[in-house]
Amino acid sequence: MTEAAVHTEPQTLEVALKVWRYDSRTGERELVRYEVEAPDWVTLLDVLDIIKDRVDGTLAYRKSCRMMICGSCGMRMDGAAVLACRTRMKEIVEAGHVPVISAMGNLPIVKDLVVDMEPFWSKVRAMKPWLQSGYEEPPEHEWRASQEQMNVIHKEALCIMCGCCVSECNSMESDPEFLGPAALAKGMRFVGDPRERNQVERLNAYNEEHGIWDCTRCYFCNERCPKGVDPRDAIAKLGAESIKHGIDHDMGAKHAKWFVTSAKTTGWLRETELVPKTQGVVSAIKQTKFAMGLLRHGKVPLPFPPHVAEEVDEARALYNVVKQQGRDGALGHVQGERALARIDHPDDAGAHGGQGYRDSPDITPGEPPVQRDIGEDPHGQQTR
Amino acid sequence: MEGPHDVLVVGAGCAGMRAAIEAHDAGADVALISKIHPVRSHSGAAEGGINAALGNASDDDPEKHAFDTVKGADYLGDQDAIQVLCDEAPEDVYQLERWGAVFSRTEDGRIAQRPFGAAGEPRTAYAADITGHVLVHVLYEQIMRRDIPTYEEYFAWKLVVDDERCQGVVCWDILNGGLKTIGAKTVILATGGAGRLYTGTTNAYACTGDGMSMALRVGVPLKDMEMMQFHPTTLAPTGVLITEGCRGEGAYLLNSEGDRFLKRYAPNAMELASRDVISRAEQTEIDEGRGVNGNVLLDLRHLGAERIIERLHGTRELSLVFAGVDPIQEPIPVRPGAHYHMGGVDTDLWGQTSLDGLYAAGEVACVSVHGANRLGGNALMETITYGKRAGRHAADWALTHTTVEVPPSVEADAEHELKQLLDRTDGERPWQIRDELAATMHQNFGVFRREDQMQEQGRIVERLRERFERVVVDDKGTLFNNDVTQALELGFLLELADCMVVSGLARKESRGAHARPYDYPNRDDENYMRHTITRLDASGRPQLDWKPVTVTKWQPMERTY
Ligand SMILES: Cc1cc2nc3c(=O)[nH]c(=O)nc-3n(C[C@H](O)[C@H](O)[C@H](O)COP(=O)(O)OP(=O)(O)OC[C@H]3O[C@@H](n4cnc5c(N)ncnc54)[C@H](O)[C@@H]3O)c2cc1C
Ligand code: SF4
Ligand code: SF4
Ligand code: FES
Repeated sequence: MTEAAVHTEPQTLEVALKVWRYDSRTGERELVRYEVEAPDWVTLLDVLDIIKDRVDGTLAYRKSCRMMICGSCGMRMDGAAVLACRTRMKEIVEAGHVPVISAMGNLPIVKDLVVDMEPFWSKVRAMKPWLQSGYEEPPEHEWRASQEQMNVIHKEALCIMCGCCVSECNSMESDPEFLGPAALAKGMRFVGDPRERNQVERLNAYNEEHGIWDCTRCYFCNERCPKGVDPRDAIAKLGAESIKHGIDHDMGAKHAKWFVTSAKTTGWLRETELVPKTQGVVSAIKQTKFAMGLLRHGKVPLPFPPHVAEEVDEARALYNVVKQQGRDGALGHVQGERALARIDHPDDAGAHGGQGYRDSPDITPGEPPVQRDIGEDPHGQQTR
Repeated sequence: MEGPHDVLVVGAGCAGMRAAIEAHDAGADVALISKIHPVRSHSGAAEGGINAALGNASDDDPEKHAFDTVKGADYLGDQDAIQVLCDEAPEDVYQLERWGAVFSRTEDGRIAQRPFGAAGEPRTAYAADITGHVLVHVLYEQIMRRDIPTYEEYFAWKLVVDDERCQGVVCWDILNGGLKTIGAKTVILATGGAGRLYTGTTNAYACTGDGMSMALRVGVPLKDMEMMQFHPTTLAPTGVLITEGCRGEGAYLLNSEGDRFLKRYAPNAMELASRDVISRAEQTEIDEGRGVNGNVLLDLRHLGAERIIERLHGTRELSLVFAGVDPIQEPIPVRPGAHYHMGGVDTDLWGQTSLDGLYAAGEVACVSVHGANRLGGNALMETITYGKRAGRHAADWALTHTTVEVPPSVEADAEHELKQLLDRTDGERPWQIRDELAATMHQNFGVFRREDQMQEQGRIVERLRERFERVVVDDKGTLFNNDVTQALELGFLLELADCMVVSGLARKESRGAHARPYDYPNRDDENYMRHTITRLDASGRPQLDWKPVTVTKWQPMERTY
């Protein structure tokens, strides 16, 4: 017998879940605890299937591919968006944890774990999400474009439209009309396409109210995206492209607006953010102070330790990384920003196998998670 | 009644969306129905690529593509249909690129192409390892651009037939509940495959063969239903696909003795032999007791951590999440899994079925391009080319025919049938029947087929169909009720299983995916170079018939690689 044999021998787990049931027609909601026996390889989606089959067929959730590609099964586990089919239960059960499952945030709940995706899609449609190759005569065969040119939109093209990013977007929580991370990443997918001819028109549109500058840079979208799209980076690329094209110079208005948004979303003024918000990302990113600003948006795993003064070396390293990348539009900017977020904890940023889980407060779906009785947050940060 | 539309496309994967775009551009009023959002369709899971003789990587032409396909199909493909596919494929792929598909590129900026199993030239155009995903999204972009109305999360259940014409579809509105009838001058079925007939399958939960069954129930015949392709490397236990790229990188297949067993089956090609050869070799090892809990082992360890992380990142993630195995440290347990249904609704070269106004395209259809064995990369191409053709023909037909008639009895009958199902409170939940069906199909109608096992499976399916008559739906509500649609899907699957067994028993030879090593180990062109056809008789049992294969210029030869 080889090692793998051990893995495939049928072993079972006693899995317990608490699921927020909800009915949008009656407004009734209830946190229901389920306990089922399951093979040890199950994902969260498999457990929901066992519950639906054998315990309660009225449990509602979406699924299809069960291989992390269709984007159906976005939901929250302990208050953070996950793909159910990508979330292995074994480690969670073995840690004695009973996760709380609820519908994604920032979208109206229809029933149980099913949200109404129409607001999501209407924003995607607002991006005019199709290639506009202009009035040029199309080529006889294909458009010519180098792999290098196409790589600019490689990550944006990975998006499966699952909504996990939107679920956790801070800006959307305070401004439901904010276009949001998924739609804006889709926008970048076209702005960055070498075959596209309407970049300027698009950038003007994405610079409007509720557009790219309304992002609070909390990085939640990058953190929760299961496909490594890094929508926040896409938004930064759009910002950089805008500035390159001379779009968005109204600093006063920007400053005022950001002042309000910042106070609204976090309850305090994040001074460090005012700089990038009002001067544009490109100039701001040159100030190392901006890098430190990233730390303030709590809730996400720290990109690097919070005590700035003690980490001057890191700050310098960051500065150098940014400088080396050059500042010419989307490519340079983004890689710089990625580096900022990942220089110290590369494994924490973006999509990686195996998802962590947190202590689970009983989050109520459909309501902003305000008061928490989970005691002092260890990092002294605002948590959701 | 909602609509009526000129063209109503049921299913919004690659085939359905391509059909809708074509019908729209031909001037028809077209709408889509899909039980899941279009971009959730299983076309998005295709990784490898799409075949067209673009000649970007070698001196290729449609004629070579056609020959490879005819031979790959083990001479059960219709050669006129294959010729159409291969001739139109290049322009159809260019079209996708001009719409914005993010294909991988050659040095000189053209669409990149790579070699694929049983193809004489590198002709598989691809987008890294997410080709299907890229195509689904580019097609949906074009749907949004044209503002084509989509009945999202509508479950199509019954075809409306009146005056010997298909005139619409009765659906269950999953989100809001209730039966909705949508009238249409023409209906195009594009509902995909039926991999859910098997325990281990690469197919999504949505792949339950709905369109095949819907057609069957209104008297439209199915073709070559015994032809289910097994992919050799699907991940135990659930069947998630592990790409052929692993073997391309040099992975070994081992049995429980740590032996590279392919040396006894394909000593030259070894792990790079064709899909059916490897699937059979694996199954033989497992059947003869040299498997590991019903699997063999795909060993990547000798490739080294660096190469695995760099080139096979996706595979590693799938393996970690779904099997808890890190391929850097341990071999991955794999086994043959149901992958692609070559059979389906019998159509002509324009996707027309035997019923006026009813079309089919994509995996639900059997034109037949793939015959007894599909080549990797040809399925996506078929969805595009034949989706387009069905859309074009349906639009032309609809624009020359005017009326739509949905007799009131249609809705009343459907309401009545549904009520019976929903009113039942005493009986069995569907899952046990579903799981038994899938497990026994794997056991008795899998990679190898034996007469006695197929007969046994026929009896099992009959009993399961009886039990299904008393099945209970928990959810009686109207808000996002997919409990009821999952029961209806099981009903579809059971009928298809019946047809497969009947066709499998009738084909007394080994050809492509239909392997009978114990009684009929050879191909028998004299008697069986023809399609099986199944229809339902009045009592709902499948009846068998035959149909000739169209041969244009390629006479059957022995299939060796
Ligand atoms: C893992 C995997 C990898 C593959 N890789 C490749 C590859 O590399 N190259 C290749 O050529 N082929 C590949 N294939 C095969 C190919 O992807 C499929 O055959 C093809 O995509 C099927 O497309 P389709 O449009 O016919 O169906 P699907 O994409 O499955 O779409 C079916 C549609 O019908 C809808 N539907 C179904 N039933 C109903 C109903 N009752 N009511 C309403 N709507 C309904 C669904 O919602 C969906 O929109 C692969 C298949 C799999 C499973
Ligand atoms: S970084 Fe911006 S877009 Fe992303 S979640 Fe935060 S506010 Fe939303
Ligand atoms: S960006 Fe990521 S999280 Fe957001 S919709 Fe796309 S894949 Fe999902
Ligand atoms: S079921 Fe498709 S992404 Fe989870």
